[in-house]
Amino acid sequence: MDGILAGGVLAIVAIGFSLVWGIMNIINLAHGAFVMLGAYVTYELYAVYHVDPFLSLPVSFVVLFAIGYAVQRWIINWVVRAPILTTFLLTFGLSLLIVNVALIIWTGDRRGIETAYSGTNFTLLGVTVPWVKLFTLVAALVITGALQLWLTRSKTGRAIRATAMDIGAAQLSGVRVARIYAIVFGLGAGLAGVAGTLIALSSSINPNMGDPFLISAFAVCVLGGLGSVQGALIGGLVYGVIQAVATSVQFTVGGQLISGSGLSDAVAFIVLLLVLIFRPTGIMGRAVA
Amino acid sequence: MNAALRSLGLSGITGNPVAFAVALALMALLLFVPAAHNDYFNLVFRNILMYAAMAYGWNLIGGYTGYVSFGNVAFFGIGCYCSGVLSTHGVDSLLADVALAVAVNALFANLLGRVVLRLRGPYFGIATLGIGVAVAEIIANLDALGGTSGLALHQVDEAHFGVYYYAMWLVALASMLGTFFITRSKVGYAFVAVRENEDAAAALGIPATKYKIRAWMLGAMMGAAAGAVFAPANGFIDPSITFSPDSNVFPIVMTILGGIGTVAGPFIGALILAGVNELLQRYIVNAHTLFFGTMIVLVVLLLPRGLVWLFGLRGGVRAWLRSLTAYRA
Amino acid sequence: MSTPLRIAGVGMRFGGLWALNEVSFTVEPGTIVGLIGPNGSGKTTLMNVISGVFKPTKGDVFYGERRIADVPTHAICRLGIARTFQIVKPFAALTVRENVAVGAMYGRDGAKRSTRASFARADELLETVGLARVAGRPASELTIPDRKRLEVAKALALDPELLLLDEVMAGLNATEVDEALDLLRRVHARGVTLIVVEHLMKAIVSISQRVVVLAEGKKIAEGSPSEVLSAPNVIEAYLGSRWAKRQAELRAIDDERRVALEVEPPEDA
Repeated sequence: MDGILAGGVLAIVAIGFSLVWGIMNIINLAHGAFVMLGAYVTYELYAVYHVDPFLSLPVSFVVLFAIGYAVQRWIINWVVRAPILTTFLLTFGLSLLIVNVALIIWTGDRRGIETAYSGTNFTLLGVTVPWVKLFTLVAALVITGALQLWLTRSKTGRAIRATAMDIGAAQLSGVRVARIYAIVFGLGAGLAGVAGTLIALSSSINPNMGDPFLISAFAVCVLGGLGSVQGALIGGLVYGVIQAVATSVQFTVGGQLISGSGLSDAVAFIVLLLVLIFRPTGIMGRAVA
Repeated sequence: MNAALRSLGLSGITGNPVAFAVALALMALLLFVPAAHNDYFNLVFRNILMYAAMAYGWNLIGGYTGYVSFGNVAFFGIGCYCSGVLSTHGVDSLLADVALAVAVNALFANLLGRVVLRLRGPYFGIATLGIGVAVAEIIANLDALGGTSGLALHQVDEAHFGVYYYAMWLVALASMLGTFFITRSKVGYAFVAVRENEDAAAALGIPATKYKIRAWMLGAMMGAAAGAVFAPANGFIDPSITFSPDSNVFPIVMTILGGIGTVAGPFIGALILAGVNELLQRYIVNAHTLFFGTMIVLVVLLLPRGLVWLFGLRGGVRAWLRSLTAYRA
Repeated sequence: MSTPLRIAGVGMRFGGLWALNEVSFTVEPGTIVGLIGPNGSGKTTLMNVISGVFKPTKGDVFYGERRIADVPTHAICRLGIARTFQIVKPFAALTVRENVAVGAMYGRDGAKRSTRASFARADELLETVGLARVAGRPASELTIPDRKRLEVAKALALDPELLLLDEVMAGLNATEVDEALDLLRRVHARGVTLIVVEHLMKAIVSISQRVVVLAEGKKIAEGSPSEVLSAPNVIEAYLGSRWAKRQAELRAIDDERRVALEVEPPEDA
């Protein structure tokens, strides 16, 4: 159950990541850092202005969208057409930058948000479900649906999809590619920010929290197919369940008890490996040598 | 000039021969550092040599083969722990440390490579993101390896402390020369062919995955050796020291700055950046990852092929400026 | 020493689409076979199947007695089969010479060659294709015709018995096409079997001994160039059924006229 709830947020993270990757052919290693920033935006709003975290969702989106737009327009755009490894390294550097600036501002301490409804639960079929996590899942589904609608119906959405399919044709139809790229990247960042907000509702945050989400987002994209919103959603839910199951495992090695939860990063990595080995479909011929 | 270079066996893929000569000369100079009897210098330059070796290791897979790895720190860390384990069991020979570390990591890289190097470049890159963290976590959970409290290692006495410096120097030299000989050989061309166009390489008879694994293994061995010497030199290791993000990132930035895919690049990059890092540490504590992050961004934007390339560039500033806008949208 | 290539009922499916469907033909050693067909007919897919890039969903490919459908790309050249790519794939950072040398290092006889010997072989091949003057330049600086020459040189470095040429003349002007044809004839004269995929009819007609036609993944004709190019179903595949009908009508009118002339001899015969 936990897995499904967590999976909803993972799906949002994955969608943002997948859009940037699918449309701009950029694997944004700073995506986890964007998630972290979104969480901190919410934290600051709550700690300083006592804004309810749910209300900070749009703020988080806007702030991160702006950051993403700026980063793409003025930094990444210089090398956006370069081989994928160039942007790979670049976003890696950006990630380091962002995380370390965050460390300086907020220090490495874990922080959390406690609201009036933080600890409340309800029971469904004998399982205890925290209200907060349920709202998170609902929010995830709503956002996913809204995004899908926007991409298919709106003018900008269609421009984006056109650019993804054929840059030359899109340009001939009057699409300004640089602007579309900046919008897409901003969108990816905004989605990450939203995810960060949702995460901040139910977990503690610290500047290094982003990386596991990056790895998960990647695995979800591989599972669900690149550039597909529904795929990312389903993939996210599935992955969430897998992770939840894997980290609840306990076993003994040489007389020492090892619990899955202490190995969460190792587990994430192994799950990723398994996903990569057993299901690189959807990117067949692109992923596998 | 080209003909002369080719007769020396120094073709386009070895990089600038002048830069290589300079690097060798500087390496030779570093041999005299212990003579100054200054502990601080010993430490600084020993670290430079360590990072240089790690950078050479990264350069093989990331630079020559074009498969960026964010997990090579795992090899360094496992190398450290090999020494640690040997020390715990009473074996204090540096030779044994290096031998074990090299063997273990070569095997590890080979086995892991069979799984992850079937993937293409960026997919491999992301997969490696998790390696360092995963291995660190696993070791941290194993009490037999000291868990989070770490392991203490036996060290030689003060009088013989220089042996660690010379050992690290040898490791760095071996890495540099190893890279030189590899890139002059057929194997080096295979690596570069895979980087330039993996499909074409396969069509020409190069089994890409096999060579990618080979590149990773050779690089792993270099990083492992560096770790094996670092551990006893430092006297103490724990997961946070050995698998630190710094150890992961430094070699990458150093190689890119110095010159990705060249023989002189990693060393030059290590020299410059480790030196700057030392200065930074004295005046601004804890900002070095920030510094290195900024460096990566700047280098990728301004100097993607590194200093060695810049050094050999014909056309001066204008040619360089022109190269900056090549990939804009 | 030369072996026939036998394509036997090859089918290749991608998702729901059969890019190749029951394609069968044989290429005799020492011949030049042209492979033509409208866009999307599966020519490059077939090249990919033969050279091991794709494993066929159905059917088999035999080189001599040996089943090669399962052989991976990098092992294909060991058997004596080489190919060029439609979208040329040079090693941009290496010089022209180094590009060809890589083929010499890892190709069929590569294991026995040292680096030096590989470079020497590369120089020979560059002479053959006419790239000796740019041997030391980075491959990224070459013109299109030169890049095509480089593709061929790299393939030749593998000492092939069978050479697959995928639209090697695309983008060349008339003179360059003639030079390319000349090169191919020289290669053929050394005993190499050629399969030439092309869109240029003039080139195919002038160089092929036999032609195989694909359309929508199926083989629709096989025979000498003139037979194949005047076959109605081939014309229809390329130009559409209305055009084919029109051609048939015109031919019918011609036939009638001829009959009329024969039946009614001139007045004062």
